[in-house]
Amino acid sequence: MAKLNLNGLGKKEIKKFYEIPKERDKIIRDTSASQINTNFLINKIAKNLHPKVQYVKVAKIIEENEETKTFVLTPDLETSTKQLAKFKPGQYISIEVPIGESLYKRPYTLSSSPKKVEENKYTITIRRVPYGKVSNYFLDHVEIGDAFKISAPTGELYYNPLRDANHIIGIAGGSGITPFMSMAEAIYDKTLNCKLTILYGVKSKSDIIFRERLEEITSKTDNVKLAYVMVVDDDTEFASSFIDRELLDKYLEEENSFFVSGPLSIYERMNEVLKEYNLPIKYIRHDAFMSEMEIYKEEEYNVKILTHNEEINIKCNSKETILAAMERNGILAPSRCHVGECGFCRSKLISGKVKTFNDTIRIADRQYNYIHPCASYPESDIVLKLPK
Amino acid sequence: MENTYDCIVIGAGNAGLIATLELVKKNKKVLLLESNLTPGGFATSFKRGRFEFEASLNQITDYGRKENPGKIYKLFEKLGLNEKIELETIPEAYHVYETESKENFKMPFGIDEYIEKMEEYVPGSYESIKNFFSLAIEVKDALAYIEESKGGINEEILNSEYENFMKVATHSVDKVLDALKMPKKAQEILTSYWIFLGSPTENLSFVEFATSLHTYISLGGQIPKKRSYEISILLAEEIEKNGGEIKYLSTVKEILFKDKKIAGVQLTNGEIYKANHIISSVSPTFVYGKWIPSPMLPKEALKLTNSRVLGAQGFAIYLGLNQTAEDLGLNDYTYIIHHSLNSNKEFQHRSSIKNSSSIAVVINNANPLCSPKGTCIINLISTFFGEAFEKNITEENYFELKDKIAEEIISTFENTTGIKIKPYIEEIEIATPVTFARYGGHPGGVIYGYKRTGLDNTLPRMLTMGKENYIKNLQFCGGFGVYASSYSSAYLSGDLAAKLTRRDIASEERNKEEDAWQS
Repeated sequence: MAKLNLNGLGKKEIKKFYEIPKERDKIIRDTSASQINTNFLINKIAKNLHPKVQYVKVAKIIEENEETKTFVLTPDLETSTKQLAKFKPGQYISIEVPIGESLYKRPYTLSSSPKKVEENKYTITIRRVPYGKVSNYFLDHVEIGDAFKISAPTGELYYNPLRDANHIIGIAGGSGITPFMSMAEAIYDKTLNCKLTILYGVKSKSDIIFRERLEEITSKTDNVKLAYVMVVDDDTEFASSFIDRELLDKYLEEENSFFVSGPLSIYERMNEVLKEYNLPIKYIRHDAFMSEMEIYKEEEYNVKILTHNEEINIKCNSKETILAAMERNGILAPSRCHVGECGFCRSKLISGKVKTFNDTIRIADRQYNYIHPCASYPESDIVLKLPK
Repeated sequence: MENTYDCIVIGAGNAGLIATLELVKKNKKVLLLESNLTPGGFATSFKRGRFEFEASLNQITDYGRKENPGKIYKLFEKLGLNEKIELETIPEAYHVYETESKENFKMPFGIDEYIEKMEEYVPGSYESIKNFFSLAIEVKDALAYIEESKGGINEEILNSEYENFMKVATHSVDKVLDALKMPKKAQEILTSYWIFLGSPTENLSFVEFATSLHTYISLGGQIPKKRSYEISILLAEEIEKNGGEIKYLSTVKEILFKDKKIAGVQLTNGEIYKANHIISSVSPTFVYGKWIPSPMLPKEALKLTNSRVLGAQGFAIYLGLNQTAEDLGLNDYTYIIHHSLNSNKEFQHRSSIKNSSSIAVVINNANPLCSPKGTCIINLISTFFGEAFEKNITEENYFELKDKIAEEIISTFENTTGIKIKPYIEEIEIATPVTFARYGGHPGGVIYGYKRTGLDNTLPRMLTMGKENYIKNLQFCGGFGVYASSYSSAYLSGDLAAKLTRRDIASEERNKEEDAWQS
């Protein structure tokens, strides 16, 4: 190209170009050869807030009612875990539980306040459920001193000031009370800055978990309110018999976010009621554990699992998820949430057909036949490739 | 032999994926190690509610199109990828705002259009902007010549054919734009693009800036329809189809040596994989600082690493809004929100924890179907420099600080553009340097590799890379490599690392043959 008028830049610059390597080398030579700093505060915080695994022991067991126990977890100090990771009220941990030849992982919401992490304590609260292999194992067999591997806290059902209304209406069904117990504690000890009204659905009075503590908190702070909804026993002085507009109107403030935690039936019921308010869906959030699926046909399929170095053949019932079948057979596949939310179990479906609930598979993953085995039921014989 | 490979590639980000695919296509036996569960590194997506968010990509540059292909188009063509991805085109170059004055300038793609628009905003700038782009072309040609000559540069050719390049090659952006007599306001509008390169214009080499901006304005930008993850997963699938192995959830503990030569890696779970060649997208800071036993580490490697400065840290806010972009008045794809249009002042602002500047990208304006009907996605990405975070963050205040910074960035965007977005937030996710440190594993949670500054800009790195290859058969790629960060830089650095490794393998084979002859 033609010569440009580069005012003030002249021929001497050409010489400088050839000196670049020498000049760079001089800077390097003049720098110290001391040990490279690899300790970065940001990386350290990242590691502490999101440990790959936490080793805990059961420090205490509290009987909440006939069917429910709270387990206090503290670090297993004989391991690398010295301090539990922080969390936001409403989040859960996934716990690894070996039972016989099988290896299960289950998500449980933390029921304690994040402030208890300062004392190195988490609590999880577990209720007996029919056929709940892991829940019932906890209630019947777990003792003080038992050691477990758990994940870092995770999950999306927490208050975000930029997204949610400052008043949360927590709709709890049964053991779905746990995230709201944690939020109520956190509001009370001022680690959480929002208001909470809990509408707590139970079958009967004896079904209530945390009754004393919840009533204590509501008596001491105006920021937490509580009403019971009794769906089986009828005690109109004590509780409403169902959630409807009349009940909700009593507690509504100018702007409200509804957090729903419990069985699918309560979520469906709430959707019906909330429709009447014409609310944008941003104001209705639910926990990840509500998903379930009715499969009517009962069949048994062959599932071939391809891992890094072997081929494992197992049977999978049409009424169980592929992950459940793997767990039953003691195959340790990556997993965390168990409801298709977290993406940990993502695996490639080489052949066969599955039915999927709560389908959160990414668009590009779907194109290449990836599925979440935790949220997929077999509809034929299957070949599945696990991540290596 | 089982567990023995021609090459081990560490990190399945953009660069590691490309390097692996190139090698397996040349029939090399390659193992790609990745510590996360999925391929792509930062080139990924994630779901919240009914939205699938893009994690990091603003635009792929240097792609162009079939009729006017850029380097990335040609690279993808070579690897047979172009027909397997769906790309959407970005409508305009950028819309830059200054928060204090609220002055704003919307710049188009196309060199002629860009020059004309600038003349409209800054009368009298025409000649200098035109000269800037002509100079940029000469710089590109000269760099291509230097690359082709592979160390055998003919001084006479450089001096005679690339005289303008030779005059500007060692200078900063500021110095050359002044020499071009570009009006100050035009300089500010032009250089607002500095933020994509991560260095203010007094440190940034003119060569680096001019080539990047010229490529961007002349070829435009693209994004994949199914997020950047579409390309990541395609690359991973192609690698496996061609016989390559990818091992996820695998973290390296140590690089192994035998007879003072690279022999493989050991993972944190104890597994050992053997190879005489390694390509790493993990930073030299960690490779030299943690993985290589000190007797194997030349002093120069320590010195070089200690002489470098870490680049920008990332802070990203991903918003799913329950209104359309059109309804909200979000009419542009790329908003650059600078506190000051003077990049050196802006750099100071971004070196403080009070930084509230950002690049805001409205994905729907290039990819209308990226979110459900009646909604849109906007990503606000800020960059922090220096010790802004280190000085203010603790484990205790982390959650609070994160929300506070996000709030300020969003408010600043709203106040500057006059567009309200807060009431419409249906989903939000915030990624901080801590998040990036966890996911990418890089030192300090930086997302831009080493800072491009003075003699650590790309041109000096290119001119010295052979000499600074301190450990034989170990190549670096990705954001901490020669070409620094960005999608296109990462792809190209993966390509370069694969070429250099093939050369190393070939030269070893030749040596073996010679040894066989002599014995």
